Amino acid sequence: MTQVLIPTSLPELWSALREQPSAHLYAGGTDLLVKRRAGLLDPAILIHLGRIDALRGVTADDDGLRLGAGCTHRELLEDAQVRAVLPVLTQALQTLGSPPIRAMGTLGGNLCTASPAGDTLPPLYVLDAEVELWSAGGERRLLLRDFILGPGRTALQSGEILAAVRVRRAPHGSVQHFEKVGLRNALACSLVSLAALVQTNPAGRVKHAAFAWGSVGPTVIRVPEVERHLIGQPLSLSVLSEAAVLARRAVAPIDDLRADADYRRQVAGNLLLRLAETGSAPER
Amino acid sequence: MTERSARPELGPPQSPMLEIGASVPRADAWAKVIGAEHYAIDHYPLGLLWAGARRAGLAHARLRGVAIEAARALPGVVAVLTAADVPGTNRQGIVHKDQPVLVEDHVRHWGDPVALVLAEDRETLRRALALVEPDLEPLPGVFDIAAALRPDAPTLHPGGNVLLEAEISTGDTASAWDVCAAIVEGTFDLPFQDHGFLETQNGVAQVEPDGILTLTVSTQAPFRDRFEIAHALGLDPLRIRVISPYLGGAFGGKDGATVQCLLALAALHVGGRPVKMVWEREECMIAGYKRHAARLCYRLGALTNGTLHALDCQLYFDTGAYAHLGGEVMELGLEHAGGPYRIAHTRMRGWAVYTNNPIGGAMRGFGVCQASFGFERMLDRLAAALGRDRLDLRRQNALRRGDRNAAGVTLVHSTGLAACLETLSRHPLWLERDRWPDQAPPLKRRGVGVAAVFNAMGYGRGLPDAAIAKIALTPDGRFRVDSAVSDMGQGNASAFAQIAGQILCQRADAIELVQPDTARALPSGSSSAGRTTYSYGNALVRACEALRAKLLHRASLLLMVDEPSGLALLPGRVRHLPTGRDLPLARLAAMLPETDRVSIEQFVMPVSQEVPDTGKAFVIGFPHVLFAYAAHLAYVEIDTLTGKLEVCRYLAVTDGGRVLNPRNFDQQIQGAVAQGIGYALCEELRLQEGRILNPDFARYLLPTSLDVPDIASLAVATVEDTGPFGMKGIGEVGINGPLPAIASAVEAALGRCPSQSPLEPRRLVAEVAAPSASDDAPR
Amino acid sequence: MKIHLILNGTPREMKVAPDRRVVDLLREDLGLTGVKEGCGSGECGTCTILVDGEARLSCLLLAAQLDGCRLTTIEGLAQDGRLHPVQQAFIDQGAVQCGYCTPGMILAAVDLLNRQPHPTREAIRVALSGNLCRCTGYQMIVDAVETAARRMREGEDA
Repeated sequence: MTQVLIPTSLPELWSALREQPSAHLYAGGTDLLVKRRAGLLDPAILIHLGRIDALRGVTADDDGLRLGAGCTHRELLEDAQVRAVLPVLTQALQTLGSPPIRAMGTLGGNLCTASPAGDTLPPLYVLDAEVELWSAGGERRLLLRDFILGPGRTALQSGEILAAVRVRRAPHGSVQHFEKVGLRNALACSLVSLAALVQTNPAGRVKHAAFAWGSVGPTVIRVPEVERHLIGQPLSLSVLSEAAVLARRAVAPIDDLRADADYRRQVAGNLLLRLAETGSAPER
Repeated sequence: MTERSARPELGPPQSPMLEIGASVPRADAWAKVIGAEHYAIDHYPLGLLWAGARRAGLAHARLRGVAIEAARALPGVVAVLTAADVPGTNRQGIVHKDQPVLVEDHVRHWGDPVALVLAEDRETLRRALALVEPDLEPLPGVFDIAAALRPDAPTLHPGGNVLLEAEISTGDTASAWDVCAAIVEGTFDLPFQDHGFLETQNGVAQVEPDGILTLTVSTQAPFRDRFEIAHALGLDPLRIRVISPYLGGAFGGKDGATVQCLLALAALHVGGRPVKMVWEREECMIAGYKRHAARLCYRLGALTNGTLHALDCQLYFDTGAYAHLGGEVMELGLEHAGGPYRIAHTRMRGWAVYTNNPIGGAMRGFGVCQASFGFERMLDRLAAALGRDRLDLRRQNALRRGDRNAAGVTLVHSTGLAACLETLSRHPLWLERDRWPDQAPPLKRRGVGVAAVFNAMGYGRGLPDAAIAKIALTPDGRFRVDSAVSDMGQGNASAFAQIAGQILCQRADAIELVQPDTARALPSGSSSAGRTTYSYGNALVRACEALRAKLLHRASLLLMVDEPSGLALLPGRVRHLPTGRDLPLARLAAMLPETDRVSIEQFVMPVSQEVPDTGKAFVIGFPHVLFAYAAHLAYVEIDTLTGKLEVCRYLAVTDGGRVLNPRNFDQQIQGAVAQGIGYALCEELRLQEGRILNPDFARYLLPTSLDVPDIASLAVATVEDTGPFGMKGIGEVGINGPLPAIASAVEAALGRCPSQSPLEPRRLVAEVAAPSASDDAPR
Repeated sequence: MKIHLILNGTPREMKVAPDRRVVDLLREDLGLTGVKEGCGSGECGTCTILVDGEARLSCLLLAAQLDGCRLTTIEGLAQDGRLHPVQQAFIDQGAVQCGYCTPGMILAAVDLLNRQPHPTREAIRVALSGNLCRCTGYQMIVDAVETAARRMREGEDA
């Protein structure tokens, strides 16, 4: 039998972690309990993080938003500030799992699972998000892209938890865009996904661009060549087609059950062309 | 003894009159929406043991032995059984008995069971199963049809890898090609499909104190199950009782033995304790039956005027490790291989082939669902080659009553395809089809597709398709129907209530439905083959009419009237119309002994009286004479960047004879189309050397509510003279249309369509990228 | 461990194994077999229950997590012998076939209508997209939720 601890405050959590350093932490259970059923892990002790208020909630300041790691996807989706400031994240959350998965799963869980197919990761990569890591001893901050080390691997240390994600406001007038390709329209793991944050000048030339691809490498991938290539250019089909070539060169997809590497590579580039579709923020 | 009829109508107002042709709510809906319906899986008898099978975990191997000591030693383990513990033949199978209950020495697929474990609780069972160690010597396997047919292929069964080879031919194909103005060819590949029913295979079993072995199982064929179990375990079939509650879906996947023989074997070893077995989703997919994977090779020719003239095709079905109904599936495929069209000269050959893949078995539209992709792709290509409108070409060649079909059988029963196509041709979705592609948004391409399909009903010649219905007046003056054919969700039980209500003039609350129980009902075959409501319903019509006549005669005695002509059955009573005197049915029932309150009648489906001089390899099943028909239309949109296909609008026009309940009719059509959309778009068993790589709902993808559009369902007004109130079975025909209709739409959108299904993004994006696409796209 | 909860309106105190899946607790220990299981891994929605009024997958919840919660299963949805409008609409609109997805589907719809009394068909489809149905093709289920929404609004107006 697995023991389940449910701390309701940080001090309780730290003491539980001190006494049970090998415990597995979970919040929504949408990943860990699936793996447990599949026999991929058999923890003696589980710590459930769902009742610690300090991990919840969205707060805003002048710089941007702070998203509690314990926020469920549904809470973030329904949050007016997230919708207004981080539409790219909202778009991604709309495609994540299914309504009950979104109601149970948390932002922190999605990040700590560190899957290259995790739907919240590409948006947070293009937003240069930072993570707040807390432990009994204090707090440290890392860029999200430094926090994620590889498939299923993060920079979390023993006794440490992911407490929050900090995201700066995107420059005014930026286009925020997310697209995920799945084999069906809900409950789908991404074959390829693309998050984009593009700022253009009044003449329609790109001032700043950030792109992050999911499911085409061991982690979410950003491609600086693509971002550089677009600077000063219009978001035309021909420019984006050139960028697509660079993107296909840079991604490192694998074959798996859902798609082969060639398809992923091809479509990773193709998805850039969607930005030319309307010439402005494509709303999903 | 009698009452005047002045008092208010009996029965609460919410209990509707059960009239044929009305959309009365289903009889099972109430219990299901409050969570009160007890499916087989909801039975937890006191003191139960849990049973589970250890699966081989290799697709082809010699089983040298099974180490069970460690499992047996685990506290809480009651027994670990192997093939040596199986009395009887240890063989199961609906037609061919080639599938062991527990493997003796030859493992033929990944999910073959090698040991059966009984434990006090599920956790112990899980640990014990992991401790069972089969000693396997791997054998080279065969994993596709071509490999199985090679002369030097490893063989799975003593007779070789060909379960059945057959031919159906008409006319003279040798010379027919010469006069064809257009000839088209194609080869098509289709994968295994999983049923995806939500209630996995399960049941409970117990040897009762009187020695009767009783099983409550999620099954489509309770009566046949007794014989399966008896044959496999050396028991007396009449000492076995099978109860089949409402099923949480089945679609063919619970036709044939799943848990039955394992459960029975377990029950024999535990001294009267009840045993429960539930396959988890993964086991359900690994060990359960599948729609056969198939390869179709087609050649079709037409005359200048568009008349279909010659067909040559070869259909190969991968039946996996065991026969199940592989030969019958192939029979249905061949019999439908020419489509619902007149073709004078045909040569249709088929093979059902053993491989080390999962077991191909029965699934909605079996054989036909695969063949429909082939013949409808051919029609589209022929239309393109002849420069003809796709719908027009189908209408020209559509089978009509009195025609001989492509298998040489004269259609003497209702044949409504022409009416289906006519209805479709006048529908706004067809009339406005040109607007759809013209309004495609940027980076999208759109197309409209059509398909004409059909599906035989019943078991076919050689296996009498019979049903025996039983209805009784209960002591409290209501009526009880002992259904003998399972309701897996298709609503046949509700149809039975409606039939009884119509004939006996009763409200819904006066009809009690008892789900199949071999101790109460009478053998009536399986819930399958589009014959469930037709065959049992026909028997029930007769039983109800006989009961009505009898009750009126008995009532005439009680009411002291000379003869029953002035008597009428009304809700809850018999009324003597000339005097207005009423006799409550409860009063009538009280006067009659139990044996006099029952009515039992049989029906046997008609078979073809014309036996074509072909198809000789089919001992059973060929030919069929009754068919349902349909014409389908699909609007699709394809994203050129990703290859993702959306089915945006859908129309299904169906000939199922007279519609007994319009809403339940639409339920069947919409559900079948949705399952067909899954088959067309995303459902595919992924296999690696016989191992299923996607045995769960995370990786085997069923359509969600966001993947299926609203589906317009229309019925054409045909009447099938032989059917109960003129109906035909429509459970299957609807699933045959989506893949060909969607493929037709893809070709319209892209100028070409993959010949391999499902039509996944990876396949479509390649077509988008291919040069010179849209020039000759059909409109 | 001991947990307190309100189950279908009744306060309960129970001794449970903390890691027992809630679906097993409900079905096997409490006999609430209206809660179904279809996949065990959160991919089908069949085991949906309401926890504090929101839809949750009981196959991905552990018993310990229920302490202090208010649970509603399909058995507890009807009030005072009257069906919930969603249940009634499922009957009236033909949304029930095999019925195995029905309890979860109904509870997911109740969650939606509690938050969004005027959903579009598209919003209904989104809200039900975590609940698989293999029988209906979803259309009559969407019809039923639309009907229930209308009746609930009219009931409030009245």
